[in-house]
Amino acid sequence: MFAVLIDQFWSLTIAGVALGFIYVLVSLGYTMVYGVLRMINFANSEIFMWGTFGTIVTSRDIFGYTQTSAPATGPKLALVLISQLLMSMAVAGLTAVFVEFVAYRRLRAKGTNRLATLISAIGISIVLSEIMRLLTSSRPVGSPRVLEKIILTEVWGANIRLDTIVTIFAAALIYFLLERFVKLSRMGKAIRAVSMNEDAAKLMGVNLNRVITTTFLVGGLATGAAGFFYITVFEYTKFNIGFTMGMAAFTAAVLGGIGNIRGAFYGGLFLGLLEVYASAVLGTQWKAVTVFVVLVLVLLFKPNGLFGEAVQTTRA
Amino acid sequence: MNKKIQRSLAVVSAAALVFGVAAAQTSANAAPKTVTIAYQGPLSGGEASTGTDEQNAVKYAIKLFNAKNKATYNVKLVSIDDQGDPAVAGTVAPGIGKNKAILGVVGPAYSGATIASLPFYKAGGLVLISPSATRVSLTDSASPDFGGPVFHRVVGKDDLQGPALAKYATQGVSNAKVFVFDDQSSYAVPLAGYVKGGLAKVAGATVVGTDSVPNTTTDFSPTIAKIKTSGATVVIYTGYYSQAAVFIKQLRDSGSKAIFAGGDGVFNQEFPKLAGAAAEESRVTGVGGLAGVSAALEADYKKQMGVSSGVYSVESLDAANILLQGILKGNTTRAKMLAWVKAYNGKSITGNTIKFSANGDISYGLFAGFTTKNGVLVNTGIVK
Repeated sequence: MFAVLIDQFWSLTIAGVALGFIYVLVSLGYTMVYGVLRMINFANSEIFMWGTFGTIVTSRDIFGYTQTSAPATGPKLALVLISQLLMSMAVAGLTAVFVEFVAYRRLRAKGTNRLATLISAIGISIVLSEIMRLLTSSRPVGSPRVLEKIILTEVWGANIRLDTIVTIFAAALIYFLLERFVKLSRMGKAIRAVSMNEDAAKLMGVNLNRVITTTFLVGGLATGAAGFFYITVFEYTKFNIGFTMGMAAFTAAVLGGIGNIRGAFYGGLFLGLLEVYASAVLGTQWKAVTVFVVLVLVLLFKPNGLFGEAVQTTRA
Repeated sequence: MNKKIQRSLAVVSAAALVFGVAAAQTSANAAPKTVTIAYQGPLSGGEASTGTDEQNAVKYAIKLFNAKNKATYNVKLVSIDDQGDPAVAGTVAPGIGKNKAILGVVGPAYSGATIASLPFYKAGGLVLISPSATRVSLTDSASPDFGGPVFHRVVGKDDLQGPALAKYATQGVSNAKVFVFDDQSSYAVPLAGYVKGGLAKVAGATVVGTDSVPNTTTDFSPTIAKIKTSGATVVIYTGYYSQAAVFIKQLRDSGSKAIFAGGDGVFNQEFPKLAGAAAEESRVTGVGGLAGVSAALEADYKKQMGVSSGVYSVESLDAANILLQGILKGNTTRAKMLAWVKAYNGKSITGNTIKFSANGDISYGLFAGFTTKNGVLVNTGIVK
């Protein structure tokens, strides 16, 4: 039973960390919006899906890569990858702002109850996914290979592959930049102020609408970056991939303590590793069961998630 | 709908109007009789491409029939969208069961949706000919899923495909060490079982590992870790092509050179397109497509429908043709149509004889082996 885990431990760990970082970035989309609005942005999963398509459109339609063309090298490689990343972030960021305008802003201005916003967010997520379904005739879309998956070296029997290394380091960098932004910038401080006490922040002259839009934008940018890494590693997307990813990222956010950026980080990594180890040891059919058993156990003992208390005390 | 089809339909209907008027002037009471058949399968949702491909083949058959018999019959098609989902099928089937205008159904496409629909069709005496529901229990009179007397299918059952896939996957491999995994669907799990049964009869082959992976998975690294630990030389997947494409890329990227094989769920030209070079030399069992039957037929299909034929197009055409021939013979009530299908003895467009057993199965069920060569699944002949 544990033979696979022992034999392939480092391969699994690297794969789990790469997957975990993708989860981290998508959970940021959930956790930041929750921090400010105390509401789940159910459309975040579709924002992610739109980001993946942004990535593919860039390499396939703008740079003209096909399934059979050779991977890029040198400066061209950097140019294509960075364009893909920026496009994915732009598409996802704008979609997130659009979601905020359509599903949240007006309802908030009218002072409707929270459930109405919840439904409008679910509604817009269905619209986003159906639009993509119609555009792609329900078919999966493969991504041309831009970054060659070279095996760089072998460490303790595990292949260190270029795409996983790029994903891990670049995603960690993006996370770090976002965390700094929220911690140090003026806008970041405003976001945290609204998160702690909306009324007090308003009284202090914080422009609430601008803070909320920025939060959606930043969450969307993180989610879009995740879309880029997802395509670079898995080279595949479909109109309905958002659901599984959204479920996992939401779980990661809750596991780490929703509303808390550090919580998303640890929750995402923990979930990525847990999924991979559980699949290898118990069989992939037990992956979801294991994840949710662990989630329930964590919530039993730490009802606010692993890092939820930090938020609770600051809010009290 | 495709613009081209729309335009050509407009031309056809305009032409029909003109000729219709001309015909009405010459013979006053020769209005063609309108009869209705239905297609049931996933037309929206994640599996919509399968349903759309099948329904297009049914539409093609009807188009040819209506053009040929425009003086006597005008066949209309009702689309029943069950999303391939038993829960949805259970909500749409009651209305179809009661709608006596519908004489017969091509479908349902999926086994699970078939089981959910059956009670309503049995009650309405509505004959079904499925092009793709392969679950064995549907034609097993001892099973609660048994679809008789209304259910028929023009596709081979999983208990024929499983052994064929096992043989084809291990062809030319001595002492094959086989890793079998499925996508947890009601199609894939039983098929994996029949594959394992088939492997037991292949000399020297052993099953060295198994897994069951949700069909929403994109990260296959745990499964690949197991394959590597097991030392498998052959990997058989019983799910669908889109996941297979994601998996095979990851398997090849991990450095594994094991033979990859899949069943008719993987049998789709989109598979090598999605997976690119990683799909080369993959072995897939399936039923031959329209192009494999006749290039001329495929060309005409593309001309008439504006798109190439897709999965199960041969089976869907055969199923539709059985109902259409029944209409031509004047079987325009449900009871007569059911009796017609039960007693049917005719030819498939592949040349095989279609004749249903008492439980609704066809007598043949030959599976062809396909190997990916230069990005295309190439037919290597019937697996024997």
